[in-house]
Amino acid sequence: MSDLVTAAPQDTTTATYVFAVSRTVDPSVLAGLPGMEEGAPVHVLPCGRLTAVVQAVTAAHFTEEAWQARLSDPAELERCARAHHAVVSAAATCGPTVPLPLATLYRGDSRVRQAMADEADRFTSVLDRIAGHVEWGVKVYAAPAPSGPEPDVAGADTAVKGAGLAYLNRKRGLQQRRHHRHEEALRAAEAVDAELREFAAASRRLRPHGQEASGRRRVQVLNAAYLVAEGSAAELTELTGLLEARTGAEIEISGPWVPYSFVGGA
Amino acid sequence: MTTTRLDLDREQMGRDLVALVLTVVELLRQLMERQAIRRVEQGDLSEEQVEEIGTTLMLLDERMTELCDRHGVRPEDLNLDLGPLGSLLPRD
Repeated sequence: MSDLVTAAPQDTTTATYVFAVSRTVDPSVLAGLPGMEEGAPVHVLPCGRLTAVVQAVTAAHFTEEAWQARLSDPAELERCARAHHAVVSAAATCGPTVPLPLATLYRGDSRVRQAMADEADRFTSVLDRIAGHVEWGVKVYAAPAPSGPEPDVAGADTAVKGAGLAYLNRKRGLQQRRHHRHEEALRAAEAVDAELREFAAASRRLRPHGQEASGRRRVQVLNAAYLVAEGSAAELTELTGLLEARTGAEIEISGPWVPYSFVGGA
Repeated sequence: MTTTRLDLDREQMGRDLVALVLTVVELLRQLMERQAIRRVEQGDLSEEQVEEIGTTLMLLDERMTELCDRHGVRPEDLNLDLGPLGSLLPRD
C-alpha cells in the first residue's frame, strides 16, 4: 500500500514512515524511541477514527535500491527490525495495534491520511478482530532418533542366506524406521496444531525452518502462530506441556507478541 | 611469509574438495541402495541376484568408510545443508 519512493541519493526530501495503525496511542509511550533514523521523533498522526504512528525519514534511504542494500546487511537489517518492533510494541501498550510491514512509506503525512481514510474499514475490522488478543508462536520439533542397537525389523529369514541379503535387510529396516519416525513427527505436528486451533481465536501455519545448520540437529515439523486471548499464557503453557508429553515431540512457544501474523486480509 | 598461509589454504581447499566429491559419491551410493531395496521389495529378483546386489552395496559401503578414514573426513561431514530443503543426505 506504500507509494514507491523515488529520490536521488543526495536528496534530503523526507517521506513518512508508518510503523503501526491503532485507534488511539498515548504520545508519551513513544517518547525517546529512536525509530528508523535520527532526526525526527516518532509521533502520532491522527487520521479520523484511526491513529498512525509515524516518523519523517530521509526518502533517499528508502529507495528500492537503498533499501535492498540495507536488507542485505544483517546488522542493519537487525537494527531496522528491532527499531520497528520497539515502536510497534510501545504503541501496542495503548490498545489493539496493527503493525505495518517494515519499510511502509508514504510521500508525506497527507498521503498517509488519505491511505488511512481509504483503508479505514479494513483497519477497523482488523483492530476489532485482534482486540484483547496476542500472538504466540509455536514450533514443534520431531522427537529425536532413538539411539542404541538396531532391532531386526526386516524379519527372521536372514539366518540361512548370505551377508549381502543381511546387509540389504538391515538397510531396509533403517529406512523403514526413518520413514516411520517421519510420519510420527508429521502426525504429532498435526495433533498439536489441531489442539491449539481449538484454543486459539485464529491460527496461521508458517513455513517450517529447515534443519538447524549448527548446534542441535533437530527437525522442525510445525511453525505456526496462534491468536489467543490476552492473559492465557499459563493455560497455553499447560496445554503445550500436555501435548509434549502426549506426542513425544519437542514444543517451543514464544510470546506474547503483537499479532503480526494476523493483520493481513480482513 | 604469505607462502605458509597459501599452503594452509590450499590444504583446506583440497580437504573441502575431497569431502564434496565423497558426498556426491555417497549420494549416488545411497540412491542405488534405495533403488535396490525397492527392487527387492517388489520381489522380482532371484535370491542370487539379491545376494549379489547386497554384497556389492555392502562392499561399496565399506569402501566409502575406508576412503573417509584415509582422507580424514568424518561420515557426518558427507552432507550438504540445503537450507529450507533440509540436508542432502538423511542425518541419522
